[in-house]
Amino acid sequence: MLMGEFWGLGVRFRVSAMENCWDFLQWLGPDASTCVFASLDDPSDLVRASAVSRSWRRFVIANGFSRSLCRRICPEVSNFTRAVEVSSSAMNQEVGSSTAVEWESLVREHRIYSYLCRCLVSPEGSSDCIDRCIGASSTDNFPDESIENTLEPSDRVYMRPSYWSSGGEADPQVPESLIYRLGSDLCVVNEIKIQPFKAFFQHGDPIYSVKFVRFRMGNSKLPLRSENYVTDENEGQAAADDNFVWTYISPEFPMLQESVLQSFKLPRPVLCIGGVVKIELLGRVQKQAMDGLYYICVSHVQVLGRPLSPKLALDTSEASGASVLKYFPVDSSSVAPNGASRDDEAREPSRWHAFAATLRHLRAGGAWNQAILNTLLRPVQFAEEDDDSDEEEPYA
Amino acid sequence: MATTGASDGASAAKKEGLVTLMSGDGEIFEVEAAAVAALSVTIRHAIEEGFGDRPIPLPIVGARALALAVEYCRKHHSLGGGAGEDSAAYDDELRAFDHNLAKVDRDTLFDLIEAANYLEIEGLLNLMCRTVAEMMKGKSVEELRRTFDVSNDYTPEEEEEVRREVSWALD
Repeated sequence: MLMGEFWGLGVRFRVSAMENCWDFLQWLGPDASTCVFASLDDPSDLVRASAVSRSWRRFVIANGFSRSLCRRICPEVSNFTRAVEVSSSAMNQEVGSSTAVEWESLVREHRIYSYLCRCLVSPEGSSDCIDRCIGASSTDNFPDESIENTLEPSDRVYMRPSYWSSGGEADPQVPESLIYRLGSDLCVVNEIKIQPFKAFFQHGDPIYSVKFVRFRMGNSKLPLRSENYVTDENEGQAAADDNFVWTYISPEFPMLQESVLQSFKLPRPVLCIGGVVKIELLGRVQKQAMDGLYYICVSHVQVLGRPLSPKLALDTSEASGASVLKYFPVDSSSVAPNGASRDDEAREPSRWHAFAATLRHLRAGGAWNQAILNTLLRPVQFAEEDDDSDEEEPYA
Repeated sequence: MATTGASDGASAAKKEGLVTLMSGDGEIFEVEAAAVAALSVTIRHAIEEGFGDRPIPLPIVGARALALAVEYCRKHHSLGGGAGEDSAAYDDELRAFDHNLAKVDRDTLFDLIEAANYLEIEGLLNLMCRTVAEMMKGKSVEELRRTFDVSNDYTPEEEEEVRREVSWALD
């Protein structure tokens, strides 16, 4: 027994001596340790390190490394003035000494930013995040050449060309822009795809492409109500640049003079804070033979990324205009923030729009009976009444 | 301690632009003042404060680490920050030098971090810290504990909770 205790002591001594050598938190002191942790650039490495021991966890949390890593991955993250956790049990009273409360808030912040970090670098597949159209800098023939047509992947719908066209300009330097609302206030955007339109109905199939594109992301200063979006009747009232705060501006990408879906991969994942993306179209290349003016036409746009709702949300409701990052750790669709998944809604108006546009086009051509067209163009909810009257006919 | 007397060393140092450094374990290094002062904030301040004619004591820096740190300063002073046509080639040479320096064993690596920290050689500190961070990459929590000999001081309940919190990073 005595021997055993003796060896036990010896082993303990050796282990603790080695600890002094190797646990760099103790060995190097806070400055150099900070330098080591600040060199970690993969969120999962940082998170695993935080699980090693109490002292490592304390060190990671107290220094806010997960937040600074988020900022290194996406500098836009600095726009958040605060991060709050919204738990379903709102009874989470903060009691105890002020140090304990302060520590709890650091722990929460660590949790929120670790989760955000993970979202920013997640390799999970991305999809088109565009929800609605806010507007175009100009539209030649509204609504036939509306920005809404760019939601359609195809450059023709129901045998009819589908594209957005700018107004004509004599000066090729006049820029144009398209502004879209994404399906979530917070989206990680990796890539944007744009297809310039080839006017296959004009002589020589001119492609109304541009020389360069550039992207801005941010939020609207106005609350975006339904009248701020483009519809058949409404060209969009909110597209002026000073209605937005841009928290990210991409470099310029050269665009090809080809009517294919061209991919623009952003140099790093970008956190779109506010769910608004502006596509800037720079440098006109194609004159229209008929009037000698330069036009830009786009048949399709995709903003590829991942929405961060419903677990993360943006709150800009504070009077100071601060951007608060909200985290909903428990999956509860009841507290889903606004702008949460609305894919079905998003697609439906666009398809209806295309069909309506086709009908209008036909009407303009005088090919259809006005009465039938008017019936078809009536708002959808009247369709049921028509069904009823149809059913009654056999009995008549 | 077999070196020149302080006064002889001092006059020689002044004439030839050398400065004398004394490691924590008592070894004396005579090095180009311009090279170390350019890279090490601590030594620059010591020289500015008139230490140039006496050996500068560096109590917590061991001789082995000091030799490597001095080597780092020399190399980076002679090649670094150089503009002109050779700068690209110099950059390559510096990168290769840094790469080799980072291959030291773990003991030396940690000694070097401590030395760079004390001497305030920012580039060397960053290089060595990146090397340690490199050692942490892709390792499981258990592997991290083994590599850095950290004992797990969580209670089973705490460990369970921490693991749940970071579960996404564990697979």
